[in-house]
Amino acid sequence: MRTYAELIAEFKNIAENPRKAMEAFKAETGKGAVGILPAHVPEEIVHAAGYLPIGIWGAQKKAINKARTYLPPFACSLMQSVMELQLEGVYDELDCVIYSSLCDTLKCMNQKWHGKTPVIVFTHPQNRKIAKKAANVFCREEYAIVKAKLEDILECTITNKAIQNSIAVYNENRAACRKFCDVAAEYAAVVKPAERHAVLKARWFMEKSKHTDLVNELIAALTAQPAPKFTGKRVIVSGIMLEPTELLDVFEENGLAIVADDLLHESRSFRQDVPEDADALMALARAWTDFDGCALATDADKPKGRMIIEDCKKYNADAVIVAMMKFCDPEEFDYPILIQEFAAAGIPNLQIEIDQESTVFEQVKTRIQTFAEIL
Amino acid sequence: MVYTLGIDIGSSSSKALILADGKDIVSSAAIQVGTGTSGPGRVMEEVFRDTGLSLEDIAFTVATGYGRFSVKEADKQISEITCHAKGIFHLIPGARTIIDIGGQDAKAIRLGDNGNILQFYMNDKCAAGTGRFLDVMSRVLEIPLDNMGDAHFKATEWAAVSSTCTVFAESEVISQLSNGVPRENIVAGVHKSVATKTCALVRRCGELQQEVVMCGGVAKNPGAVDAMEKALGAKITVAPNPQITGALGAALLAWEAYQKQQ
Repeated sequence: MRTYAELIAEFKNIAENPRKAMEAFKAETGKGAVGILPAHVPEEIVHAAGYLPIGIWGAQKKAINKARTYLPPFACSLMQSVMELQLEGVYDELDCVIYSSLCDTLKCMNQKWHGKTPVIVFTHPQNRKIAKKAANVFCREEYAIVKAKLEDILECTITNKAIQNSIAVYNENRAACRKFCDVAAEYAAVVKPAERHAVLKARWFMEKSKHTDLVNELIAALTAQPAPKFTGKRVIVSGIMLEPTELLDVFEENGLAIVADDLLHESRSFRQDVPEDADALMALARAWTDFDGCALATDADKPKGRMIIEDCKKYNADAVIVAMMKFCDPEEFDYPILIQEFAAAGIPNLQIEIDQESTVFEQVKTRIQTFAEIL
Repeated sequence: MVYTLGIDIGSSSSKALILADGKDIVSSAAIQVGTGTSGPGRVMEEVFRDTGLSLEDIAFTVATGYGRFSVKEADKQISEITCHAKGIFHLIPGARTIIDIGGQDAKAIRLGDNGNILQFYMNDKCAAGTGRFLDVMSRVLEIPLDNMGDAHFKATEWAAVSSTCTVFAESEVISQLSNGVPRENIVAGVHKSVATKTCALVRRCGELQQEVVMCGGVAKNPGAVDAMEKALGAKITVAPNPQITGALGAALLAWEAYQKQQ
């Protein structure tokens, strides 16, 4: 049995080398990879085709130059990075990429793809909570179009049965990731923030059943010993993503453990299973209309704050840190609601800015250190 | 007698203060260059000058400020927000809101009745609303920073200067100058711009709590303080020796850390 440290090293290696992970998959299966842009793309359809769905989440500390020709200065940091990379041809080895249209930037970006690969664009219905039945029908049809385009590009047939199998594989992986997050909270003295992140980031670059096996092996290695006492503070993080990795090191340096998250890059992608349905595409559509707590998914009831507050109780968290993606309008619109709800619940909270291009972290160090000092 | 040392290495200045038995200020010094320069070394020489003390006499040292991790003499690093709050509350126990504007940071801090930090906000990664903004405008207006306060009070009306971006604001100031707007009016507009930006941070901390205290290098500029008072609609107390309050807080926290060790 491999040790915790050995397994974390493997997760880190995969998380830091997506190209290597893709090449290994291609060598093993003889099939290719499909780029999955953020956010809420039904990856299961790609998985059912036997291809590797590979997450496209920009790059850390990548200087933005060429992208500025094509994007307004206030486009979010993540999409600036994605544009820079596509202009450099980084995504050209993919068989295609799939884009949703969940924010203004995604909607515009998916119309000006500069890579060489074909692009599949689809729309999520945002009437999902007020006209669920109609939204399910619309969403299912959108997913059917995605499936048909994929079949055409990849020259294959994707059956209902194959998607159902993939949904089962993904649900199993979601359960394993949720279990890992719970165990990581219990073993807060062992699982460093950057390690937790590497485990969950690797998920975007691996065939999901393999990721599940590796996560389960990690959980077994971790729980082989009793959990040591954690003397620092326990925080929950919310936002699109929490990178560059140096930010996670700042958490560790200041004695902060991440005991749960509400990140699109992490828990929002696996906190809810796809329901059972004889019609696999309808099952995926229902997952979208059931989903709660994401700024990109319209819900006038705004349950996100309440969900995070519930998690604070569940995980005995001391505070919430909101990792605000620079120039992400949907997240910024939700933030005033969140801080009012946190204040009413007496939950200390802090906002830090996420800019993938950052190479200097002094200001965020001051914010996080001060926050840790007052907790 | 037990001596503790607080060192505050900012982006544009270096400050140090020696405290005896956690209450009496033995010596303090400020050098107007910050981290990465000769400032940290020079301020250490300066603070010990004429005291008869040396580093060996210091029981505990706390470093704070932007360059706190580069101070190798420090026993501990503490953020400047915590240190300013500590220093200000020690000097002015009635302080409940602190506005600290330094070289490249602006901070609003809300204190509880026992001096604990209840909430704080910092500026974004942007020079607007900071000392650097005033620095740039001072050069464009050809008015030394130390004279900006006097010029402010000679203004007949306050010119409109954007608070969004230093670069855009600089262009605005240049065009105001070329349109013949009196420099004093522009200075007042520049101060208003800083005040507007900083007020947004203060308001994020919740309802304004008196007493409002200002510290950091910009607090030495009476024009900026006047603009801040008008923007907030509240009287502001300027901390005595406002540039040194972070180093004072650091020395006080060093004293507490020393006592905890004993």
